[in-house]
Amino acid sequence: MKMRLIIASVLIPLGIIIAAVPENKTKQFRLTAGELLNEVREGTQFISTDQIADMLVQKDPSLQLIDVRTQDEYEKYSLPGSVNVPLSDLLSEEWKDFLDQGVKMNVFYSNGNLKANEAWMLTRQLGFKNNYVLQGGLNYWAETIMNPTAPKSVLADDEIAKYDFRKGASMALGGGSSVVSSSNETKSVKPPIVRKKKKKRVAGGC
Amino acid sequence: MGPLIVNEIISPDTNLLIALLIGIGFGFVLESSGFSSSRKLAGMFYGYDTTVLKVFFTAAITAMVGMLFFSLFGWMDLSYIYINPTYLTSAIVGGTIMGVGFIVGGFCPGTAFCALSIGKLDALAFVGGLVLGIIIFTEGYPLWEDMYKADFLGAPTMNEILDIPRGVFALGMILVAFAMFWVGEWAEKKFPREEY
Repeated sequence: MKMRLIIASVLIPLGIIIAAVPENKTKQFRLTAGELLNEVREGTQFISTDQIADMLVQKDPSLQLIDVRTQDEYEKYSLPGSVNVPLSDLLSEEWKDFLDQGVKMNVFYSNGNLKANEAWMLTRQLGFKNNYVLQGGLNYWAETIMNPTAPKSVLADDEIAKYDFRKGASMALGGGSSVVSSSNETKSVKPPIVRKKKKKRVAGGC
Repeated sequence: MGPLIVNEIISPDTNLLIALLIGIGFGFVLESSGFSSSRKLAGMFYGYDTTVLKVFFTAAITAMVGMLFFSLFGWMDLSYIYINPTYLTSAIVGGTIMGVGFIVGGFCPGTAFCALSIGKLDALAFVGGLVLGIIIFTEGYPLWEDMYKADFLGAPTMNEILDIPRGVFALGMILVAFAMFWVGEWAEKKFPREEY
């Protein structure tokens, strides 16, 4: 009897408090400005072009590339398998289920970092999970994956391995036309794609 | 342990180990609360012992209030909580079978194993029946597959069905629980039974 009163005197006031709190505050997950700043400073949202190339080559089904540029730009050039969600349409109801899901890894990209970062910040603030940014955007993608520059021979082995991987990925992903080998070279076989070790996903992005 | 595995904070093996430890703790608490006695459990239905109602509802409302406050403080994201999907027909049929078994046998599956672990023979018979039921269900699955999967409702929560805020539903649940505790204690006085 007494125990019931003790439990009631604790749980009933707590119930009244939770009933009085506005629903949206208990429902939505929001980051404080400080927490967001911390994430931006640490750059946990970035995914490297090499990692994306690796996932594309391996046809990783968990990857979902999202092009946040305008439709015109998207039609001119886009990454394989990507979908176009222009930044101005990001908050439309049509894309909500697409962006707010915990299954696939959404990677935003634009020409550089700017628009993709804006999209990431908006979705992060809305509490959507699994959203990332392609580091450097398409400009850096073209530079590193589509037209990789050969490392100087004195460089370390892993630099050469990285170059080989990029060259292979470039061929596999339909680029690499500008990576023409010198004319005196015999027609070489397709460069092997050197699989990189599977990296752990960026931590702290949940 | 959902978020911990997904975010690679713990491995699936560690998860199993934690589950084992939690299971042992749960069994220990069940046994020490007297839930390994079929008479105590069946007393719920006859009104002479409502410990089951009080223990389970106290646990439920404590967990409910705890989770809502954790969510309010931003310590927990409630969207991570797995909600068992509802298949209405099988829930009703299964619930009826479970309820009848509970009254007749004096155990629910968890408490049956708890009682078996301290050597109760009636629990052994109950667990035997439980295994038999599992075999009948699995072997005859094609017969009741349609019924099993009928009326799929997704994973709704009560406050969504009633269309009221989550907190208000929680307060209502707490008040209902305490009303039931009060009725339960009244029933214990009304239908007393000798000590067993």
